[in-house]
Amino acid sequence: MTMDKSKIKILLLAIGSTSLTWMLNHHFGLGPIVASGLIGVVAALFIPGALAGIAYTSSFVGMSSLTVLPSFFIALLGGLIAGMVIIATTEVYAGIGGKGGTTAAAATLVTKAISGLIG
Amino acid sequence: MNILLIIFTAIAAGLATYIIANYLNKGAVLASASVTLVSGIIFPYFFPSMGTTLMVVAACASYGGMVSRKNAPSLIDMIMISSIIGLLFTLTTTAYAGVGGRLGTIAAISCFTWIGVRNSAVAANRARKGDPYSKSVGVWQ
Repeated sequence: MTMDKSKIKILLLAIGSTSLTWMLNHHFGLGPIVASGLIGVVAALFIPGALAGIAYTSSFVGMSSLTVLPSFFIALLGGLIAGMVIIATTEVYAGIGGKGGTTAAAATLVTKAISGLIG
Repeated sequence: MNILLIIFTAIAAGLATYIIANYLNKGAVLASASVTLVSGIIFPYFFPSMGTTLMVVAACASYGGMVSRKNAPSLIDMIMISSIIGLLFTLTTTAYAGVGGRLGTIAAISCFTWIGVRNSAVAANRARKGDPYSKSVGVWQ
């Protein structure tokens, strides 16, 4: 996977969106639904086109509970993995409702496995 | 009663997302995020006992409502997808609890289920029309 400017942008956006959602969810106590909805609305209003979808997809990872993503560092890692999964699966099942959530679930489970290895 | 309420909520949220995205042309992300945000604020306020469950169902159905018009051309398709989401949600309450993306996965499975059922019905219809035995029956009649 070659890294060009757009892929770096996607990774940074995914990390930012996941960590922000995680913060809103756990630190500010908004809960996962409101946190993700808020990030999605802000992304749709201020970020152009497909990047808004990437931000919204990454925010699903930040909806995870503290047993799955126990710390802010793991949330950052989750965002990075979500960005990588999004880049790898851009063309797969486009237009299917829930594709973003499935991508996020895959990223979350990989992150959980890695955080389990880290300890 | 609870299952009916869950399915009704899923249909309402799915239809709202689909209409905002495709009929009002606001885009799938804004449609889903706004339905999710509004349901996250409203349901716990108006339904203190079941509000948390209903807001999660509404969010799940709003992810299903992001389906493209190519895959779900009509509102009937969206109603069917949302109904499957409601049913699947009640069946998978404890599965992967707390994993981000769980709701989207339920939505994706529901979309694939309905698209599969619809395509199978269309294929069966075509096969029946092209069946020589059916034609011969028509001739003999």
